Amino acid sequence: MPDQQRRVYNRLAVLRAERGLSRKQLADNLGINYQTIGYIERGDYNPSLELALTIAELFRLPIEAIFSFKPMTPLSDAVFREPPAAPR
Amino acid sequence: MSTTTTRRIEYLPRSRRRTLVAVALAGYPVALAVLAALKHTGLNRWLILAVFLLLLLTTVAALGVGYRYARGRIDGRRARLDERDLALRQQAYALSHRVLAAILIAVTAITEIYLTNGNTLRLDANTFWPAAMWVIVYIPALPSLMLAWIEETDQPSDA
Repeated sequence: MPDQQRRVYNRLAVLRAERGLSRKQLADNLGINYQTIGYIERGDYNPSLELALTIAELFRLPIEAIFSFKPMTPLSDAVFREPPAAPR
Repeated sequence: MSTTTTRRIEYLPRSRRRTLVAVALAGYPVALAVLAALKHTGLNRWLILAVFLLLLLTTVAALGVGYRYARGRIDGRRARLDERDLALRQQAYALSHRVLAAILIAVTAITEIYLTNGNTLRLDANTFWPAAMWVIVYIPALPSLMLAWIEETDQPSDA
């Protein structure tokens, strides 16, 4: 297994802000230390599958809406972007 | 220790932490080497003692910051260690083991070279105690220092 882990991008900071949660409150809900939230948000730490699933469960979102190997697009883009025109 | 000081230590940038770790590790041997060198210069005894104590205090302060930075994550004083803390602790112990092995190999090699050049090594209080002090102080502190060395810089929360 390579030493260098792949970067995992996430929308944790946006989701946390949207729900008005502080790092401490989110950490308490997840049963982790508040510093860990900051490290995950900045991409300095990749959470375990268990923690990623717990986060997805807490936000009631599919895991791929929160974590991705590709840089995240803004949520507003994902929600309001017009769908491509249907072929005639 | 005040909350402000604790928080300042908690958010120390990694570059500054690494400098402190280097000072903590090198401080004591440097203090002993300076003491040994100054003894033969004929300088005032009190001046030599002051220089030695200054170097020693700097080492102790750097060790204290390193220990404080670990915030109970190495010795298990913190009640709840999450998965990142546990992973970091494991990495810190692994790095400590590597550093310790490197130091032991270096000391053995230097001793070997010293002895094969016709010198003799006398084990008395002057050589035993500095070595014993190094073992007593550094071996327990090494994992905390290594944790301070490896952890990424944290940033204060904005929310």
